[in-house]
Amino acid sequence: MNPEVGTILNLSLQKIASGVGDEGAAFAQGTVGLIGMMLNMSAKEYDRAADIRFAENNDIRALFSELAPGMEDAGLKAKLDDAAKSKDASLRISTLNENNYALRRLLTDVQICAENNGARDAQQRIWAVLKAMAARRLVTLGP
Amino acid sequence: MKELEDRLATYLRRKLGAPELTVASLSRIPGGASRETYRFRARYQGRDRGLILRRDPPSSLIETERTTEYRAYEAFHALGLPVPEPVALELDSAPLERPFFIMEEVENCQTGGIMSPDPYGVHRDKVGRQFFSVLGRIASVDPRDVGLADFEGESDIHDVAMHEVARWEKVIEEDEREPQPIARAAIRWLKRHPPPPAQKISVVHGDYRTGNFLVDDDGTIRAILDWEMAHLGDPLEDLGWAIDPLWCGGNVAFPGGMIARDAAIRIWEQTSGCKAEPQALYWWEIFASLKGAAIWISAAREYAEGRNIDPVNAFSGWFCLAFHNKVLADRLGEGA
Repeated sequence: MNPEVGTILNLSLQKIASGVGDEGAAFAQGTVGLIGMMLNMSAKEYDRAADIRFAENNDIRALFSELAPGMEDAGLKAKLDDAAKSKDASLRISTLNENNYALRRLLTDVQICAENNGARDAQQRIWAVLKAMAARRLVTLGP
Repeated sequence: MKELEDRLATYLRRKLGAPELTVASLSRIPGGASRETYRFRARYQGRDRGLILRRDPPSSLIETERTTEYRAYEAFHALGLPVPEPVALELDSAPLERPFFIMEEVENCQTGGIMSPDPYGVHRDKVGRQFFSVLGRIASVDPRDVGLADFEGESDIHDVAMHEVARWEKVIEEDEREPQPIARAAIRWLKRHPPPPAQKISVVHGDYRTGNFLVDDDGTIRAILDWEMAHLGDPLEDLGWAIDPLWCGGNVAFPGGMIARDAAIRIWEQTSGCKAEPQALYWWEIFASLKGAAIWISAAREYAEGRNIDPVNAFSGWFCLAFHNKVLADRLGEGA
């Protein structure tokens, strides 16, 4: 999620401290309502953020592990093998994100390779991971 | 606020030739993340007129041209479409620190909330018929007939789709703060499955959707707003955007929370004179969700880097981007 929870909390505080009421009641009401919604979403994100990234990273690694044996591009195969064996050294969001971004970049490279080669089965497996990723990161409103 | 009120009054006295003009009740209102929007009253020559000021912000969500928006208001107001009457455009930063324009306030109306599955209640049918009819009328206008042939955009019917893909791909490349595999896959899909040439080149509103028009208590659409992303393009672009699932609480059978999808498309076809061929419309629907993703990625960057900490940008970066990623993954993953 970008921006991350810490940024949302810090900038929400900054927005409130800078005086949201200075520009009129209607605008202030809208701004405070949105800040409240972001705080509510941040509370839920606090609970699930590490789990989402940890699960996503493992899903992508498992996919790479499945796809690596059939990969003809030696350079890409080596990258898949390495990434499949990688681990998340901690559950800090910053660490999980660093690994997640690298895995997601490689996922796009693999998907482009599969599209260019007409590898339908690989494409379907990649889309299954992307669909799960999108579903997991969907944001819900309300309590 | 008082200083802005005084400066606005000084400007309008000169602009409208009304030395006695006074400005009162200036207040900022929500609306349009890429411009600061204010409501105020101008009293002059026996009139008490509600007006809207749209001023460039210090930092903009998407770089939009206020001249474009103003000229669109001028052109479509003159045609009798429901748009506010434009009053003044000022590109000089001296009067109010940043460029701005002023238009009439369309009073006693509401916008519909995009999060609501039923934003127009008992008036949903009436509003829906007007909504898609007005969109069709916009599509039916030849840009050359209303002095908008020089608008930004591609004027070759064969190139217009890829021109738009390139435009939003550039936004993603410049603004993404983390890899976006779904948006990237969508861009590749759009390039590999080009739609048929556009049936015509028209003025595309660019953000025609629930939440961007005003409705009165009788369910009559009184004003189509937020023309800041208007450009020349394929009229199907606006239709694809208008029926995007984000604007109807995910209920795709009733675009915008109004009328049934088939009825909406039929009304648009009747008023625009164009056909919404399913394969072409599907391409523009995928494009709409990709364009949305690009806008939300851009909003998230503006917020995270502190250039515009309006919480609507944070909301866009979270809720809206996640929503459009899911729409794209479900639709494109289905056909893989």
